[in-house]
Amino acid sequence: MKPPIVSVRGLSKDYAVRVLDGVDLDLAAGEIHALIGANGAGKSTLCRILAGLTPASKGEITLMGDDFRPSDKRDAEDRGVQIVQQELNLLPSLTVAENLFLNHFPHRYGWIDYQKLHADAEVALQRVGLQAVNPRTPTGTLGVGSRQLVEIAAALVRDCQLLILDEPTAALTPVEISRLFDCVRELSEAGVSILYVSHRLEEIRTLCDRFIVLRDGRKVGSRNTVDSSSEEMVALMAGEAVTASKPFQSHRQNRVALRVEDLCRGNQVRNVSLEVKCGERLGIAGLVGAGRTELLRAIFGADRADSGTIRLGDDASIERCSHPRQAVRRGLALVTEDRKQDGLLLPHSVRINASLARLTHSLGWIDRRGEVARVEARCRTLETRFHSVEQPVEELSGGNQQKVVLVKWLESDADVFLLDEPTRGIDVTARQQIDRLFEDLARRGKALLIVSSDLDELMQLCDSIVAMAEGRVVARFQRGSWSRQSVMEAAFGDTSP
Amino acid sequence: MSDHLPTRPAPSVGRVLAERAGLAGALLLLILVFGSLSSSFLSTRTLVSIANQIPDLTVIAVGLTLVLISGGIDLSVGSVLALCSAVVGVMMVDAGLSIGSAAVIALAAGAICGLVSGSITVLAGLPSFIVTLGMLEVARGGAYLITDSQTKYIGSSVEMMAASLPILRVSPSFLVAVAVVVLAQVLLTRTVFGRYLIAIGTNENAVRMSGIDTRPYRMAVFVISGALCGLGAVMQTSRLATADPNAAIGLELSAIAAAVIGGTSLMGGRGSVVNTFFGVLIIAVLQTGLASVGASEPIKRVITGSVIVVAALLDVWRSHWQSRT
Amino acid sequence: MSCLRWLALPTLLLLASCGGEESGPAKPQVALIMKSLANEFFSTMAAGAERHQAENSRRYDLIVNGIKDERDLSRQVALVDEMIARGVQAIVIAPADSKALAPALGRASEAGIVVINIDNKLDIQVLEQEGLAIPFVGPDNRAGARKVGDHLAQALESGMQVIVLEGTRSSFNAQQRRLGFEDAMRDAGIVIADSQSANWEMAQANTFTTSMLAEYPQARAVLASNDSMALGALAAVKAAGREGEVTIVGFDNITAVQAAIREGRILATADQHADQLATFGIDYALKLLADSNQTLDDLETPVDLITASSLD
Repeated sequence: MKPPIVSVRGLSKDYAVRVLDGVDLDLAAGEIHALIGANGAGKSTLCRILAGLTPASKGEITLMGDDFRPSDKRDAEDRGVQIVQQELNLLPSLTVAENLFLNHFPHRYGWIDYQKLHADAEVALQRVGLQAVNPRTPTGTLGVGSRQLVEIAAALVRDCQLLILDEPTAALTPVEISRLFDCVRELSEAGVSILYVSHRLEEIRTLCDRFIVLRDGRKVGSRNTVDSSSEEMVALMAGEAVTASKPFQSHRQNRVALRVEDLCRGNQVRNVSLEVKCGERLGIAGLVGAGRTELLRAIFGADRADSGTIRLGDDASIERCSHPRQAVRRGLALVTEDRKQDGLLLPHSVRINASLARLTHSLGWIDRRGEVARVEARCRTLETRFHSVEQPVEELSGGNQQKVVLVKWLESDADVFLLDEPTRGIDVTARQQIDRLFEDLARRGKALLIVSSDLDELMQLCDSIVAMAEGRVVARFQRGSWSRQSVMEAAFGDTSP
Repeated sequence: MSDHLPTRPAPSVGRVLAERAGLAGALLLLILVFGSLSSSFLSTRTLVSIANQIPDLTVIAVGLTLVLISGGIDLSVGSVLALCSAVVGVMMVDAGLSIGSAAVIALAAGAICGLVSGSITVLAGLPSFIVTLGMLEVARGGAYLITDSQTKYIGSSVEMMAASLPILRVSPSFLVAVAVVVLAQVLLTRTVFGRYLIAIGTNENAVRMSGIDTRPYRMAVFVISGALCGLGAVMQTSRLATADPNAAIGLELSAIAAAVIGGTSLMGGRGSVVNTFFGVLIIAVLQTGLASVGASEPIKRVITGSVIVVAALLDVWRSHWQSRT
Repeated sequence: MSCLRWLALPTLLLLASCGGEESGPAKPQVALIMKSLANEFFSTMAAGAERHQAENSRRYDLIVNGIKDERDLSRQVALVDEMIARGVQAIVIAPADSKALAPALGRASEAGIVVINIDNKLDIQVLEQEGLAIPFVGPDNRAGARKVGDHLAQALESGMQVIVLEGTRSSFNAQQRRLGFEDAMRDAGIVIADSQSANWEMAQANTFTTSMLAEYPQARAVLASNDSMALGALAAVKAAGREGEVTIVGFDNITAVQAAIREGRILATADQHADQLATFGIDYALKLLADSNQTLDDLETPVDLITASSLD
């Protein structure tokens, strides 16, 4: 084996919780190395540290034998580490050529040398098989796949020792994917090391030499791709089932709380039908982009669905909700994935946030004393920690913020709770408290629809689980009839090319 | 990071008081400075003359503060005031109406302007900056049209709102303006409407996702601002005994300045009507004081501008300090 | 403590700007209330008044105040009230509007303050309605405009077309100057093709002149009611490539126009002795203060025609 270009030892990163824990990794020159793991396993964090986007908390990295501790993205780039991230970072109003050379325009005395710029751009585009694209076209007019390739081209116009590709094929068509693979192989032959992050196991099997598996921030395995099967990869990613601390108890009743039929919204939610009973906890598993968040938003009326019906409890109406206002009136509640963006008024107090969904008033006048009393009582039952209900929520920890969001919906007295990643970024203690709350809600006959990327959590909490992929429900499992493997395969299943 | 929080005394109430004490202190200091510089400044006459010239700016600034808190901006306040003032002039001089009826019509005219701006902003999803910039021109044009670009002299029949009352010595306009401040502050802090305005200005998406239709609230705030322009127009027309289509050019900037000095955030979600009133008082005292000591024109401008910028700077520091501690 | 900090700067500036002011009680205080001090005409006037005060510092004290633009009526009314509150003995004012200021000046008269009207004459009807007697000290704008118009007429022939740029129509001066121009043109048999208000402003005058020249290609002269508008018209004529063909006259004799007159690009203007206009008013106010039996008559000040030959 050739000596490693990049060597990572004991790399750790702490945010609110430890997201990367003592990871080792070696990349030889010209090696194509896959990085796999479930959502939240720490893949993106590892990439971000290597690319200088975030500093490591602990551990060492060497690049070509030298200590590598990039101060920022520019520093990493100058030393030959390029990253192509999942989200597109191109400026749509600039031309392709301008985007390619954004931070090092060829110039003479400050004037951009457009002739050279366009000539260089053509060469760069050719490398990724985009010779058909005119460098003068505005980037915004290109399709998503082409834009992804332009990003890769932009990474390659700089000196490149290590190229990090984070889910580069998520938006590409099969033709574009094979073009990308050709390009990656060429680079590898030229001695560039490639760290390739993907969920698509088939891709990894065709493209990569080796793979490393992360789970919960730890390295759980590293193999040659030729030596291992897809099943082995999934098993490594999934890990052992964590024994539930508390035996599961079902509170499912026979009465239907929410019935969704043939719900469609664009190509993100396709003909989804599902049913949640009172007291049932239904988990929705799937990859990022499988349409889980979009499904909840369409049910709630946050995005307007194209077709389908929604019936709540014994209501005669099967109308879809066209506005969250309607959804709340019908007894729905949505805890959004991004609580800072869609859930909270960060600079305002716990009191104002908690009573937002239901302000008790007489003729428009707020009953201030009653408001304080009720919010305090609710927060106490959830063991929310703050100094007073007047404290701004931005000063609370993630777990306590999430509790405030939950208190808001408990106040509204909803019957069906739509919960999108309700425990993301929350530490273990708070997570347990929230899980207990869910159980309590179920006991009181509330129906819960829980989206989570943490399969363990779903398996521990739910009466039943549906798996979604590409906007469809692809499998349904009842407690007892599921295994970690079967759910994961269902969720990963349709995505291989 | 864990759920454990740093121990710090309960905030909010104390903070709000401190903020207000700061503004009141600043105002007092300004008055003392001018009082020591000009022997005539600390007289009842001067203070009364200040009180009687601020009602129009006060009510406009109150309306604008509400708009700013809801996350919008209304640049058209000056022009809408001029339009309403023109309406008062035409109604009283040409149609021979009493001040009461003319005032009602002016308020309605202002409310309609607000409704137009508000509906376009909310229903078409355009930035209020652009819509009200358009309204600024339209309303000014309307004012010229209905007055034929002439100043309309109305005379004593309109002056009763601005005439000093016996004993109190301040004008009815001033009392109305103070009442508007109090009502708006109560609306903002004690009612569901006010709570939603603050919430919408902070994070409209979160409010929407809490099951609240934000559109009627965002529209209503423009209607309120427009109607207050009508009220301001009645006050100004009364004070000048004249309806002037050129009135209140640039008034929106004074109103924004007053709101900013009072700590209202231009990004929405934070502000207080009472603090805006302090802002208006500070601007008025500054203006009168500088005129009273005979400061030269350039110096006046430099000082007024500095006060606005320093107030805005303090605002930044304050929010910084709040987020730090 | 924050409030102290943020007051420090304005306070310092303020002390710096007016540190020298001390007033003895015996001397009368005269308030000069101008229109926009950003306008050269009024700043010249104010400078003349300040010079006069410096030369006569034992006779009176002077407070000069202006408004931020020509049309800020509201602020000017407030200034009058503030000066009443300050207890000045005389107010010399260039009203921003010939009607709107009357009630405020009435309050001043009631308070026993001598009020002198300069520059823009208050509306006689409104003064009568309010029962006020406020003497006007200033030039006869109509006669001045007529002088300029007559001089222009010599350069033109009967039957030719001209364009008039008026000031803000609600202002008395604008009306007087327009009438003066019209008198002169009528007598010389010259046709006024179009007459529009450019609100005293250079930029507006430029726009209007451009469009009027396009509409009336026969026009041979532009009569501007002030020099700023004359300069705006000059630029428009130049842009239209008709310099030399279209003659321009103005009013006020500001410095910028003198150069243009020397170069022959503007034919004439009228000098109403801006630097002395306020001084005339102040002198008159002092005279009235000294002798309360004086009748409140208007006082006419001279207006002179300025041409290339009179400048040399």
